[in-house]
Parts: sequence; structure tokens; C-alpha cells
Amino acid sequence: MKAAILDGIVLGLQYGLLGVGLTLVYGLGGVLNLAHGQLAVLGAIITALSFDAGLPIVPAIAVGLACAATAGLVLDLTLMRPVYRLRGEPRVLLGLLLMLGLAFIIDGFLVWRYPIQSLSIRIGGDPIPILGVRMRTGSLIASAVTIAAGASLVAFFRLTTAGRAVRSVIQDEEGARLCGINPARVRTFIFALSGFLACLVAVTRSMTAPVTVTNGIDFTTLALIVAVVGGLGSVSGAFLAGIVLGIVNTISSFYIGTYITTIMLLVAAALTIVIRPSGILGGRT
Amino acid sequence: MSLLVLDDVEKRFGGLPAVDRVSFGVDEGEILALVGPNGAGKSTLLKAISGLQPPTAGRITFAGRQLAGLSAHSVRQRGVAMVLQTPRTFDSMTVRDNVVLGAMFGSTTGRIRESEANARAEEALEFIGLADRVDDEVGSLNLHEQRFLELARALAGKPRLVLLDEVMAGLNETELAASIDIVRMARDTLGVTVIWVEHVMTAVMSLAERIVVLDFGQVLADGAPADVMRSPDVVTAYLGDGAIPVE
Repeated sequence: MKAAILDGIVLGLQYGLLGVGLTLVYGLGGVLNLAHGQLAVLGAIITALSFDAGLPIVPAIAVGLACAATAGLVLDLTLMRPVYRLRGEPRVLLGLLLMLGLAFIIDGFLVWRYPIQSLSIRIGGDPIPILGVRMRTGSLIASAVTIAAGASLVAFFRLTTAGRAVRSVIQDEEGARLCGINPARVRTFIFALSGFLACLVAVTRSMTAPVTVTNGIDFTTLALIVAVVGGLGSVSGAFLAGIVLGIVNTISSFYIGTYITTIMLLVAAALTIVIRPSGILGGRT
Repeated sequence: MSLLVLDDVEKRFGGLPAVDRVSFGVDEGEILALVGPNGAGKSTLLKAISGLQPPTAGRITFAGRQLAGLSAHSVRQRGVAMVLQTPRTFDSMTVRDNVVLGAMFGSTTGRIRESEANARAEEALEFIGLADRVDDEVGSLNLHEQRFLELARALAGKPRLVLLDEVMAGLNETELAASIDIVRMARDTLGVTVIWVEHVMTAVMSLAERIVVLDFGQVLADGAPADVMRSPDVVTAYLGDGAIPVE
């Protein structure tokens, strides 16, 4: 039980990081990025290809992260332009459709071009006991990276003027424009950041289980659930939701079976919408 | 030379003109009140100048450069700051953080350092009289204080022109007097020009140096307050037939 909870927290932090990107992009412009997981997998596969081509693992990861961030940046500057010119429901719908189409394209391309490619980062060493539970080194490094990334994000949004500028656009775009903030520039930056974070999650996941070319939809689904439970647009909500869902996931797969976990997570998301439509923290940060 | 020149400015919503070919100039250092009945197009005109709702036709020349067609953040960086009737401050942040955003991103002197933005924010809050509330959450401020905060946020970018949209509505006597004082002080000590939409006529008569009356999106009268408010056209449009002119 203790092991399941600890595993759940480790997993949950990764869920949180995965959800943050999706939630921020939505909070800033109303676009639900259904290709979020595909960006993660794209970065992971580029990392694996760079590694296979002879790069050491750390530079290979850097290449993957940079490519995922660049993909986000380019997407915002191209595909998203017509979307942001629209307002209200048409914007939401066009955004959904375009990103869904993009998800299919990335999935299709990867399956066609690299069908058996996967990213699996093996980190050796004996398990290390944490709170009486023996944790694998890979799992610990993944957690450390995730916690560091999460803490940097929270610090960025709470403590820096640039981070507050992002929050101001989420809270009230018109108010932000009146301050001299350019919402389009903020959205471009956050789309790139969300690509980077998605890839970071795929990389840390690959330290405990392989990330394959068909994992995009799983990542997208998880990110969506986390964002809904945490409240769309809320950074701290996404992390809290990630941890709660991580624990739900590991406990239900421990006591019932892995086949039930996605269903349990979707139930948790559906219940959240019914009980607290604005997320578990009930507001936006 | 005029700081701001409006030339046949028009704003249509689905064919209907809310602002109908408005032309006038505003001199540097002037306090101009824009008055008129509800729906006359006053707020729409301010939003057209600020870039929040760009005009559909016409030219807006500010300090010799075109504003029409620029988006709100660019207009702000060129030196035109706007304060809306409903405060648009950010609740989850402190008073200081709100003003630092305006100082940093609304800077008219190009990109500035964080330390400089902080200094300008402190200065603006000192000027406005909220220096002792810098670390408070915005949610703890009342309406009057939130409007002052937004004015501080506007002034922190060192604008040359400030657009005020009914910022004195719903205030008590003391707050009203304080608001009038601060606007006059902003002009006198900081040299900002003010265009100000207002329904509170006592405030208009005590602060404005010039009044432009809009009606059905068009300029009905333009001149010194006493003259304008005695004009029969204005009295009819503004207060209805049979009303008594303001003394």
C-alpha cells in the first residue's frame, strides 16, 4: 500500500507536468491541444534517434526537448494564427479540429516511418530505500527531474514579472493588453514551453517504461484528465490533480488491475466536472 | 500643436455607427471631459483610441504618429494608457505586482530592467497614495482604491495621455474629491494629458477645462465647460426637453 502511494506520487508529479502545458495553452487562448501527447512522443522519438545516431544520452535528450519546444513554437506561429483570429466557440472548435488532425498526422508519420522505434532510458544501480520502500534509481531520477521542473515552473509563475504577465493574460486578456502586454507573444512562448514540458515528461517516463510511437494518445488523454480535474488554466491545480490521479491510478491497478486505471481516471475527471466544474482548487491561478 | 488629433474617426458595429466621423484635437496638458447621453459613443471612442476596439475608419494621430490599426498593447507602449470603469486589476496578485506589470510592459521608454520597473511602480504608488498597501492582495481593496491602483498602473509606464472611462461613477463625496485631486495633480506634476468620459457632472464642472459633447456618435458641442453646458442643443440632447441649464 505504501509502495503504491509512493509510486502514485512519483507518477502523479509527471501527470501534473504533462497537464500544465495543456492547461496553460487552454487558459491563454481557449485551444485544447489534442496533439499535446504527440508532441511528447515526437520529442521522445527524436531523442531516441539522436541517441542511436551516436549522441550521448544527455545531449540527445537536449535535442529532443529543443525539437519539441520548436514544434510548439512553429505550431503557434502557423497553424494557430487563423484560430486566434476567431473568437468564442468558433475558436474552440477550429482549435480542436486542427489539433486533432495534427495528432493524426504526427501519429501516422511516426508509425509509418519509425514503427518499432521507442525511447527507453535505462539507469542502473541498486534500488534505494525511501520511507522503507525500495525505489529504482530510474524512478528516483525521474522524480527528481519532475520535482525540479515543477518547482521551477511554480517559481516562474509566482516570483517573476514574466510569469505574472502570463498569469495576467489567463486572468483577463483585455486587462493585460491595457498593461502593454502582448497576448500573442505570451501564447507563442507558452506553446513552446508546453512542447518542452510534454517532451520532458516523455523522457522521464522512459526511465521506468518504454515510450513508443503509439503512446501519443495516452499522453494526450492523461493531460486532458489532469487539466480538467485541476481546473483549466490553473498551474497549481494541475499538479495537485496529477498527484491525486497518480495515486488513484497506482492503487486501482494494484488492487483491481491495470485495465481499470484509465476508466478510473476518466471517472475521476467526470466526477470533478459534476461536483466542481472549475477544478479541485475551484479557481484559476 | 495638438498631442492627439482625431480625424473622421468612425466605429461601426454591424453597420450601425457608434462613433460617427468624429474630429477634434487635444492639446498637451489639457483635461478634456467627454460627455453625452448613454449610448452616445463616448466609451467606444476611448476604446477606439486605446486600440481595444480599433476604429473602422478615420485617422488617430498621436504625437505625430498613427495609432489607428495598432493593437492595445502597442498603443499603450506609445504613451496612451486607459483606465476602465470596471477595474481590470489582477486579483491574485499584490498591489505592487499589478503596478510593476504596467511599468514593465507599458513602458514608453522602451525595454526597462526589472529594478527600474520596480522603482517606477513604487513611485507611481507613492504618487497615488497607495504606498502603504503595496503588499496587499488586490482583493482587499475597495472600488475606489482599485481604480486608484489602476491609475497607478497606467501612470507607472510614464504615458503622455491617459484615457479615463467613468472612473468616478459610484464613489462617495470624499472619494470623488480625492479622485478629482489626483487627476488634476497628475496633469500638474506629471504633465499628462487627460481625456475623461464622465457622467458625474459635478466632477466634470470642477475639473474639466474643455468639454466635448457627443450625441448619436457625433460631436454636438465643443468648448469651455460653462459655454457648452449652457448651449440649448446640449441641454436638449443631454437632459431632454424642458430641462434647466447647468449654472
